[in-house]
Parts: sequence; structure tokens; C-alpha cells
Amino acid sequence: MKIHLKYPTLLVLFVMLVISSWGFVQPKERTEFIKDTSKTYGDKNQTASEKPMPIYGNWISYDSKNGLPGDKAYCVKIDGDRVLVGTHEGLAVLENGNWKTYTTEDGLTHNGILAMDVDPLTGDVWLGTMGGLSRWSTGKFENYTQMNSGMPNDLIYAVTCDGKDVWVATGGGAGCYDTYTRKWEIFTEENAPMHEPWTYGVCASDDKIYIAAWGGGIIEYTKKTKKFRDYVDPDGNMEIDLFPDDGVVHDITTGASWSNGMLWVATYFGLSRYDGVHWKGYFDHDSGLTSNFINYIKAKDDIAFICTDQGLSTTDGKNWVNYTTNENLRKGKTIIINGDDKKVMATSPSLAHNFTIGVDVEGDEIWVATSKGVSHGHLMK
Amino acid sequence: MKNAKRKTLLWMLILFGVIIYFPGRMLARHHVNDKTAVTDHPLKCTSCHVYTSKNKFVTSLINEDYYSPFNIAVSHDGSRLYVVAQDTDELLIVDTESNVVLHQLKVGVHPHSVILNKANTLAYVSNQWSDYISVIDLAVSKVTDTIKTGNGPSGLTLSADGSFLQVVNTYGSDLSVIDLSTKEELKRLGTGSDPTGTALSPDGKKLYVTSRRSKIVPYGEPLVSDLTEINGETLRVGEHHNIEEAYMMENITFTPSGDLAMMTLIRPKNLIPSVQIEGGWMMTHGIGVIEQGENGRIIQLLTDEPNSYYSDPFDIVVSPDGKRAYVSNSGADRITVISVDSIRAILKETPKEELKNIANNLGVSSRFVIKRVPTGANPKGLALSEDGKKLYIAEQLEDKIGVLDTESLQMEAPIDLGGPSRITVARQGRRLFNNAGHTFQKQYACYTCHPDHHEDGLVYNMAGKDMGRNVTNTQSLREIGDTPPFKWNGKNQTIYKQDGMRFSTVLTRTEQFSYDDLDAITAYIKRGIKYPPNLMYNPHGELTESQQRGKEIYNRTKDNFGNVIPENNRCYTCHPAPLYSNLRTADVSTLAVTDDSILFDTPHLGNIYASPPYLHDGRAATLEEIWTVYGEDNKHGYVNDLTKMQLNDLIDYLKSLGGPEQEEISSQTQETASF
Amino acid sequence: MFKKSPYTSFIPLLAIIVLVISVQSCKPRSLEGMIVMSQSQGDIDSPDYLSGNRWRHIPESRIVALNVNSPEEPLSVLTKDFQSACAPKISYDGNSMLFAAQQNKNDVWQIWEMDLHNLKTRQITSSDGNCIDPDYLPGDRMVFSKHEIINVATKEKGYTLYTSNLDGSNLARITYDPSTYFASTVLNDGRVVTIGRTLIPEVKDAKLMIMRPDGTKQQLFYQSEANHHLQGRVWEMDEGSIVFVEADANNEMDITSISYNRPLHSKVNMTSHIKGDFYAISPYQENKVLASYRSDKEGRFALYGFNTQSHELGTPIYKDGEYHVLEAVPVVKRDRPKKLPSEIDLNVKTALLVCQDINYSNKQSNDSTTLTNRANKLEILGMDETMATFETEEDGSFYIKVQADTPFRMQTLDGNDNVVKGPSSWLYLRPNERRGCIGCHENRELVPKNAQPLAVRKDPIPVPSPKEIDSLKRDLKM
Repeated sequence: MKIHLKYPTLLVLFVMLVISSWGFVQPKERTEFIKDTSKTYGDKNQTASEKPMPIYGNWISYDSKNGLPGDKAYCVKIDGDRVLVGTHEGLAVLENGNWKTYTTEDGLTHNGILAMDVDPLTGDVWLGTMGGLSRWSTGKFENYTQMNSGMPNDLIYAVTCDGKDVWVATGGGAGCYDTYTRKWEIFTEENAPMHEPWTYGVCASDDKIYIAAWGGGIIEYTKKTKKFRDYVDPDGNMEIDLFPDDGVVHDITTGASWSNGMLWVATYFGLSRYDGVHWKGYFDHDSGLTSNFINYIKAKDDIAFICTDQGLSTTDGKNWVNYTTNENLRKGKTIIINGDDKKVMATSPSLAHNFTIGVDVEGDEIWVATSKGVSHGHLMK
Repeated sequence: MKNAKRKTLLWMLILFGVIIYFPGRMLARHHVNDKTAVTDHPLKCTSCHVYTSKNKFVTSLINEDYYSPFNIAVSHDGSRLYVVAQDTDELLIVDTESNVVLHQLKVGVHPHSVILNKANTLAYVSNQWSDYISVIDLAVSKVTDTIKTGNGPSGLTLSADGSFLQVVNTYGSDLSVIDLSTKEELKRLGTGSDPTGTALSPDGKKLYVTSRRSKIVPYGEPLVSDLTEINGETLRVGEHHNIEEAYMMENITFTPSGDLAMMTLIRPKNLIPSVQIEGGWMMTHGIGVIEQGENGRIIQLLTDEPNSYYSDPFDIVVSPDGKRAYVSNSGADRITVISVDSIRAILKETPKEELKNIANNLGVSSRFVIKRVPTGANPKGLALSEDGKKLYIAEQLEDKIGVLDTESLQMEAPIDLGGPSRITVARQGRRLFNNAGHTFQKQYACYTCHPDHHEDGLVYNMAGKDMGRNVTNTQSLREIGDTPPFKWNGKNQTIYKQDGMRFSTVLTRTEQFSYDDLDAITAYIKRGIKYPPNLMYNPHGELTESQQRGKEIYNRTKDNFGNVIPENNRCYTCHPAPLYSNLRTADVSTLAVTDDSILFDTPHLGNIYASPPYLHDGRAATLEEIWTVYGEDNKHGYVNDLTKMQLNDLIDYLKSLGGPEQEEISSQTQETASF
Repeated sequence: MFKKSPYTSFIPLLAIIVLVISVQSCKPRSLEGMIVMSQSQGDIDSPDYLSGNRWRHIPESRIVALNVNSPEEPLSVLTKDFQSACAPKISYDGNSMLFAAQQNKNDVWQIWEMDLHNLKTRQITSSDGNCIDPDYLPGDRMVFSKHEIINVATKEKGYTLYTSNLDGSNLARITYDPSTYFASTVLNDGRVVTIGRTLIPEVKDAKLMIMRPDGTKQQLFYQSEANHHLQGRVWEMDEGSIVFVEADANNEMDITSISYNRPLHSKVNMTSHIKGDFYAISPYQENKVLASYRSDKEGRFALYGFNTQSHELGTPIYKDGEYHVLEAVPVVKRDRPKKLPSEIDLNVKTALLVCQDINYSNKQSNDSTTLTNRANKLEILGMDETMATFETEEDGSFYIKVQADTPFRMQTLDGNDNVVKGPSSWLYLRPNERRGCIGCHENRELVPKNAQPLAVRKDPIPVPSPKEIDSLKRDLKM
């Protein structure tokens, strides 16, 4: 059985490019840029959020020297008392102060874990890898591939647990797995308003699923009606965002996250936020966003945590806290921008690397996956 | 004159009889020889033409409706038994003083288990073929509510505080957690494959779920089955324990002190060439003991003996003092009485490295087996009275409840549930099917490899000619009556041949069935084994949109590019409805280098979703793999032009297929077997 | 005479029925309910356990019938026409009796069958070697021991087991190793249990061996302690125990019981508290066996009842000042054993043997056997020379195709060709037989682990190896 994709060669090349870029992109020093843009940031008519932005510090990093099976960490998830890190060399689990690694030898479908989510009800961990999906239920891996199941494609960029369903964004379309009926449903350009089958992110709200489709903006799927609609960049311009806040900033979307009624959309060309009525765009040149090149986004309560190639940005839509680092010195900066106010704090140690790929936040803890390890920060009080 | 006419007529009749008798008899002989593959099967027309008839009038005459008690619960005061009557879809309430059935309450289809709440005011019955729980108010002896579950509900437990009902879903291979305050399913936890048994630890902190099928692994890799441990407080999976070399872990229980959990199991020898039965080379049966506390060791002990096997252990209960365990050996018609203290002693003195070895020792049972107590046919569920003095035994194919006095270890008079006293031919066939008595040293029954009359998911090295050749995937026996020939290579034209002389030479290795017994088991296999309703994939008999699209692909004559697909490469050619088999052999290019050169019998596709792994040697773990991995040359249907979505649709359609009856009657109202 | 009516045609029929019934009732009364026993006046105290003389074939012995309901009735001698007769066995339907007998002094012992209704006898075997110890097999067949050469090179003789139809046809030898076999009994499971004793290269203690009636799947059933002797036939009791008489090192002969389910580890001496000797036993009534017993070695064996539950010896059933009572069997119907199917194909000249792990022992191989003494080769030893030596698979398994009906032994070798374990006892496989073993283990109660032996992924190794076959062909100038 051959799986037929519309642009297979192009897709494979692009995937290889993106994956390989995670390890090799060398970020520029951003300090000057932040200084320069501090005066132009923000909507002057808006007041700063009443709730102060959380600031994280006391960073501790882990890489292959102190716990991880490899340096390259793609994703991270806080799961109760343990932390799960998806790396290029397998799943690393920090529990009771000890790291333990799980690889294909333990039953994992592929060692390169790009995405993960934990089912809050069952505790099952769903791991999206470069070679399929693994359901890890304490001690047991159950693997789904495009060969042994109805899953669309083995290259999985995003995983989201939504009740009994598990959604994946893959190189061959979005997939929905019903854990009750054990049935896959595939969504591609053939049955959904996508530009092509490549999907890069998926997230769930109470009644909707949002799929970040490459070249197709955001695909909204209403669970009840099973109907789709898409949100693309209305100006259609691939170079610049011609008309601000007219819609999603770019059709090349790389992730989406929904929290507290807000949908946050990541692209390689800036950030978008959608409140169900209005879209708002954020760029590195007109907001506190540290870089337009966004690898991953995670919204938690009112805050978006944005993983870029130049560090981690966090925002409530108005105020920003950015975390950057000098990888050689292991020192970095925490830049706090409240409206016009801007404060730069030196942090040492800081994030493991500026090329941030994954993040998770729970309580006072933040974990950031980077191309040179994973960093653990604490809420500064 | 009249007498002369009569005489003439009589002589003519005699002459006519003589004329047709000899050639007629010769023809009949030829016909029977052809069907049975032997030359001495009695010329009994009834064997085939009555016992295996599908005519409703005939079947109503030759069959009976038995209760087939399957599981039991006993009230705190011991005055009432609650008996699941699987074949009449009832819960029977029995007065243990008078041994009289007081109430017969209709529940769902094919009920499996019953439990009582702490106050003994409510009973919950799992209905395996209806996917819901019946809630019975015991004060008024009425079904008062139903609760939706997952697919194939079986084992039941209540949480320590009684607020949650945990339901094992056998066909869904998961556990439904039901909030009894809302009567809604809260969540479903993944378990091992084909689970049934479950038990909550006395402190309420740990819940076990046992599975019956092994994980699907490539042939040659060790057999491993899942024992799922669930945190009884958070109701999340705590751990999946690998139980090596074992499967069919039907039921599990805790000792009252909670120091041990004990489950029944079978240790099959599917990877070993089936060259002999002697020395436990085909099947062994035993228990698994899970040490609680820090060590947490899992030890397997055979309850068999070197020259005697006690097949198909089903249920296990432990006495209130924690000293004795009772195991029902369904295939041996025995209760094995076990000294739990002896097991504790074995655990204490056995170093960890010896655990694997002791699990293969037939001599160990002499250390802990106190007695083997004979029972009625096919003992299944067990229940101990609260004082531990009486053990009640659901004798499924006896239609009685056996009563064991646990002090004298003598059977008392059984409780007759009032079912038919006549044993029909098909019922006799079912008894034979479930009993290991026709296998050398009673090592296994038909049921052992065909649990639930289906298949056990294993691939066996049947050592047909040479030992490493021709490994075969166990085939389901559900609804195969009209799908001859049989066996993967289609060499057996009838079940008479399949289960005849050669069957005894290569499989049971003891005296072959008598012809009466062969008639009986054939009648049962041909007509007595029904599909469970396909509630997961086709609950209402109507295809979903995806299944409808899949059906179009199944019936297509042209590929995606408009080219005509050769007729012999279309799905429907070899698998035409309603049987989904053309009853012929074919080459689908999946012959292994270790196979003899044969064509494959085209299998029927009814309930195909429930029969992984697939292909004759089980190489395809899923239906998808038949084509994604083993269908490159387009010889098993033309599929390589399909997109992934189309393949999903096709498989979705295949999973919807039931038997010929599916189209006629809604699966919700499907009747259970009455044999 | 008779009025014509449709019923008149039934009259002749009724007449025929009446006639048949009367003929049937005139049939001679069978010995049902009586006890048949062999007796001897002569020396039975110095049996030759190797040749069987004065043990399994006793000169001047006779078979008599005892009516237990009329003890005053004189014994009925059933074998008046024979010089010697012993080892009676009753058919499952209770209608006939097999026995071994010689018609005249110095005649060869043959197997005979007696119709217990008319007491007529017919000879079944016509052998040039003694045929003794018959027992009925299901399907109108029997098993017996026949005296013949068991080592062509040395012309050494012993008793091999044969089966045949009850008319003597379809004779089939079923044992092919250099052992001698006596006193076979067919168990309810259909297998033959027999007293076997290896003769080559040295004489070993007798053991109870068990096999299917076609000689396949032969294995050890019970092994006595050193210097003990298995005295006579074994019998299977209803409740699953196997009983027989065994002599200890001091030649004290006691009734011994073992469990069918676990014969190797369930021995109970049931008469250790009873002074005196037992000669033979057989099941009689529930929990009761017929036992030939004498209280002192000077006396004669008499017939007693022995309770296998209470272990009490009853009063004598029959006592004779002149004759020893040897083997006594009641004439009763009993359940027919299972008729086992046979896997033998005489058109096939070879058989297959698979072994899971030659390093397998009581403990797991990788725990108990160090690398230095792990075996990785197997040598197959024939009667006179090595038949093949080959390396086993990585998992210790091997898979061989041997010449059928050819005895061989095995020994395991390490990398330096030093013997690690063995040689084993003699094995032989019947044509087309396929057999498995776990390894060279001492614990015979172990079942195989569920693992596919690597060896069966390849073709079987031929034994004798092609080289040996060439050598044999040269020697035989083929």
C-alpha cells in the first residue's frame, strides 16, 4: 500500500529542512533590538493588565550531561509530580529527582518525540514522534503508525487530548483517534478547507478543534456539527502583513493554543490572537515578541508562552516578559515590558538555548525545551 | 380379491424397496463417505439433515432453551443467590433455603457478571452483548435502570466508598469508570486485550484488571499478557504488568488480608512445534500470584500435574480466613482446592531467579493443591458465602448451581435452576467443546484455543510436516457452518472431517470422537455458535458515511484512475456477501518461505474486526497491515491506488461486517445461542 | 388353522426370537465373578529377573479358577492341556483371557487366548522365541514380550515388546533399544506401562517405562530406589493410583502405590507394617486388591484381600498347601482404555527429534551453567559408534532427523569436545514419529518454556550424518 500525498517530494524536503534547522539555527543577540524597540511597543491607549505577568527565574538546565538522553529537546510536559521531556533520543522522565529514559527498546515507536500531551482523565501520555504515535500508559507503549492503523502520517508535530479523542497534526493531515471506538478520522485538503495535508499544530477548545495547517492558516472544526471553516490571512500577502489585525497574520501557521476563550496562533512570521470575533497580530517589530519565527505556542490561563528562535516570549496580549540567553556564557536576560515600561534583568543561569521549541507551565513551574537541553524555571515572587 | 390386491401391492412395495435399497444405500454411503472422509460413519441422515438444520421449525423441535448459569453473587446473609443466566438473558434470584428460583428478571443480552452493593440493596448486571449495565432494586426485585458502558461489559467492581462502578469492557479492551451519582461514564482506562476479570484490594487502593489475550507480537517473540493495575483512589492506570508466557487470565481476587492477589491463567506452548502432548508440550494451566507490598513479585504456578491437566481455569475465590482458594477448572469439571499458606511458603522460599523455572514445574502443584472436587459440566463463576462455609458453583452446561461444603470438601445436592432436563444433541456438542476429556490427559478442550468459541489470538506451530513449517493463526469458529471448506488450506470439506480421525491423530492425540459425539460437536459448531452483535462498528445495522464509502471501494470495478480492475482482484469477487467468502481457495501471495505450497481457503469476513492478528500466519497485526505492509503486489485485492483516507474507509466498512443475519435483524435484538 | 390376519406374519418372527433367546441361554456359563489365578508348585524364590525364568514364565505353573461364592468348590484347572501357564489377563468385556503358556516341556512359550464361556483355547503367537506377559489393547489387539536378539553384533537376547491382532496377525515390534521389557499393562489412558531394563553397555536397574501402543513417546514412568526390584505387573486402580509389588534391597516384597498423576514422586509403601511378602496384586473391589501373600519366606503364597485405604490385610480368600498363588485376577468387565491414534507411517524411514536447550537443567540454563561448562555440541552415539556430532544452535537447541527404529544415545560436548553431560539412556523413534525434549534435565516434571527453538527454523540435521551413511554403505558394499 502506498500512501499518496499531493506534494510528497516538496513535503519531505521541507520537513527535513525544518527539523534540521532546530539544531543549527544560530540566533542573533537580541538585546539591542529590545532596547531600540522599547519605546514603540504597545498600544499606548491600553492600560497594562491588572494581573501582573508571571516572571520566571532560577533556571536549571538539563542536557545529555546531566540526565537527558540527548541535547535536543523538542517538547516538555509537566505531569503531576513528574516532568516528561521529548528529545531526539527518546522520552526522558524526571521523577523524584531522577531521570529515566524510554526509547524504542522499551517499546516507543520512534525516539524522536516532537509533541506530547497527557490525558487528564486517564493519565495516559500520548507521544507524537517522527515515526508514529505512542500511547504510553505506565509501563506499556501502544504504537500507532500509518502502516498499522488509520493514522494519517507518521510524522507527528502536535498532539492534543480532548476528552475521549486524541488529535494529531501530521505531515499527512490532521487525525482524530477515538479511544473508545479505536477509529481514526483523517482530515486533509480532500475533506477540509486546507491548502495541503501538512498540518503543524492542533488544539482544542470546549466546542472546537483548531488545526494549524501549513499554508492554510487555521482550520476550525466544530465538534458538534462536524463542520469546518478556515481562517487565512485576508491580505494573502506572504511577505508582510499588509493590513494589521485583519485576520491571522500569515497562512503558514506553526501552532495554535486555546485558553480562556482566546486562540493564539503561531506562525513563522508573527503571532496572532483571536477572541472569537477579532484577530490581533503581534510582530517583533511592533510588540514585545522576541522573534517572528515561532516554533511553538502554549496558552495557559491568560498568558501565551511563545517559543521562538530567539528565546521565549510570554504575553497576556499587552505586557511581555521575554527570556533570552547567551548560549556560550549560559547567562541571559529577562526583559519585562509593561506598556511603555521596560526592565531588563540579567539572569544567570538562564535558558539553555535561545532556540526554544516547547514549553509547559504548571503552578509555579515552567519548563522550556530547547535545541540544547531543557530548562526548568520557577516563578519569581 | 381385495386381499390379493393388497398382497400384490405389498410385494411390489417390497420389490421396489429392494430395488432402491441397494443402489440407494450405495449412494448414501458414497455421500456420507465424502462428507466425513471415513468409510464407516453410520448412515444416519439425521446427523446432517436434522441436527444442523437451519429450518426454524426443526430447530425449535430439536433444541432447548437452557439457562447456562455463568456467574453468581451471594447475599451477606447467605439466603439469596443471584445467578446470571447467560442464555436466557436473565438474573435468577434463588432462595438458598428452599433451593427455589424466586424471580427471573430479564436483563440485557448475554449477561456476564453480577455484583451487589454493600447494603445488598442493589445488584448490577453487566450485559456483554448489549453494552449496558442493568441496575436491579433488590427490595422489589425489578430492573430499575440501565447504565451505558463500553463495548462488551463483563467484570464488575465497586469502589471502596461505593460511589464508582468499574466495568471491564471485554471487546473494547478497556475499563469504564461510572459515577453512580450521575450514572454516567466518567472515563475509560486502557487495559490489556480482551479483559474480563477485575478485583479491588481490601483497602480499596488498588484495582486489577486481567486480560485474556496476549499482546500481538510477531511470531517467535515471547507471549506477554497485560495485568493492569489501577490506582483505586485516583482511578488512573498505575502500571501495566507484563505476565510472561501466559494468557486467558479470566478472573482475579485478593486474599482478605490483601497480602496476595491471585488470578487464573493458561500457559500455552504455541511457539513450540506441536509434536506431542506428553510433558505439557501443548497447554498448561495454573494461577498467577501477585505479591503485594514491597516485593511485588508475580509468580506463576501450574495447577496441573505431570500426567493430569486441569484445563481452562476460570474463576478463583479465597476463603474469608485467607487459608484456601478455590479454582473452577471449566474444562475438567473440577474445583481445585488450594492451600494459600502453602503458596505463601513457596513464595517465601523461592528466589526471584527461580520464578520462571517454577512456573514450568508440574510437580509443584502437589505442594499446594489440597483436593480436586468433581462438579457438574463446565463450572464457571464461583461465590463463597460470607462465612465461607458454602461454595456456590455456576455449572454452566449442567444448568445447576453446585454446592460445595467447604469443611468436608464434599459436594452437596446441587440447586436445579429448572432448565430442560433433556440434553439435546447440540448441547452435548457444546459440552464436548468445552470439556478437555477428549484430549490426551485432558490437556485442553476445544474451548482452550477457541475461548468464547472464537479464537485465542495466537499463532501455533502445528508442525504439519516438518517442525518449523506452516505456522497457523487460530481461526474463529463463530458462524462458520455455511463456510466450507475449513482449515487454512481448505483441505477439510466438512466439520466432520475437520474433527474426525486426523484431528485425534494430530491434535487431541487420544481416541477420536465416537460418531455420536462427532455428530453432536459438528451440530454445535455449525449452528450453535453465534456472533456477538457488532455494537462497536455497526450498532444499528446502518453504515456510517465512511463505511458507505468503504463499501463502494469494496464493490468497485475501476481504480482511482479509471482503469478496470481485473475481476479476480476485486474485493467482492472472493468475498461476496452475504458470507463474504466465495468458499474457494486462492493465492493472495502471502505464502511464507516456511509454508508448504498451498492455496488459502478464502475466509469469511463476519466480525473480522474481532480477530486480530490477520492472514494465515498472523503476520498482519491489524487489518491495515494486510495492505500497507503485505499488499504491495496488489494480489490480495487491488489497493495500491487507494489514498490513506480511502483505505480507512474500506477498513471501516470491513469492521462493520457481521454475518448474513446482520442485514436482517438489528444486532440489538439478536438472540443468544440456545444450545 | 389360524385366521388370516396381518398379525399372523408376526408369529414366525416371535418364534425366531424365542429360539434365539433359548439358544443364548443355553450358552455355557462364563467364569464371570470368579477369580482366575496362576499357581506354581515349583521354585519361585530364585527368579531370574534378566531372563524372566521363574519370574515371568514359570515352569509347571497353571491357571485355575476359584469360585469365591463357593469356597468349598474345588479349583477348576483351566490349563490342563498345558505344561505351564501363567500371566492371566482378562478382556475388557470379561469374556476371554490371555495368558502365556507352553504346551510341552521345553516348548517355546506362546500367547494363548481362552474363551471364558466355553474354556476353549487358541494359540495366538507362533514364535521361535518365548512370548510372554500379554495384555489386551483396545481394538482387538494385544501387547506382549517376545524373546529375541537385541544386539546383532553380540547376539545378545532380551525381551522386546510386540503388538498384534488377537488372531496373531498384524504383528508389530514396538521397542527397538537394547533393553528387555516385561509385564506390560495397558493403562486407562491407552498407554502401555512396562518393566524395562537396559542391558547394554551394562545391565541397569529395572524401571517402569511408558509408551504409546505403537512404541512412540517412550519415557520413564517410575524408577525404584537402588537395589529394589519391580516384582510384577502394575495395575491401575479406579481412583487413579497405580499399584504393584516391589522388593526392597533385603528382598522384602511390599505393595507399593504411586499416583498416576505424579508417578515419580508419589511412592507409598502400603504394607511396610505387614511382616511377610507379597507376590502380586490386582484390583478386586472398591479400595480392595487381590494380593498373593505369605507371612514367612518358607510358606506358600496364598490369596488375600488387601484394603488400599486402611492398608489392612484381610483373612485368606484361598490358601493351598501345595501351590503358591501367584497372579490372581477377577473375571469382571472393566472400562476399556482409550484407543490411541498412531502417528506411525511405515513408508517413512526416519523420525524427527527437537530439543529446546541442551544446557537446560533444573535451574535456568543461564543461571546454573557457567560459560566454561556450557555445551555447544551434541554427539549421537549408536550401538557401536558415533553416528553424528554437530554444533547446536545458539539457544542450545537442535533438530535432527534420525533413522527410525534405530537406538541411539546422546551426550553433550563443550567447545573442546569434552563431555559435559551424558551419555543419555537409549532412545529410539518410530517411523514418522516426532518428538521433543526440553534438554538434559534431571527433573522430569518440567514442561518446556514457550519459545521457538532456533533449530526448527532450519532443516533437520540428518543422523547418521551423510558421512556416516557413506561409511556404512562402504562397509556393506552397497
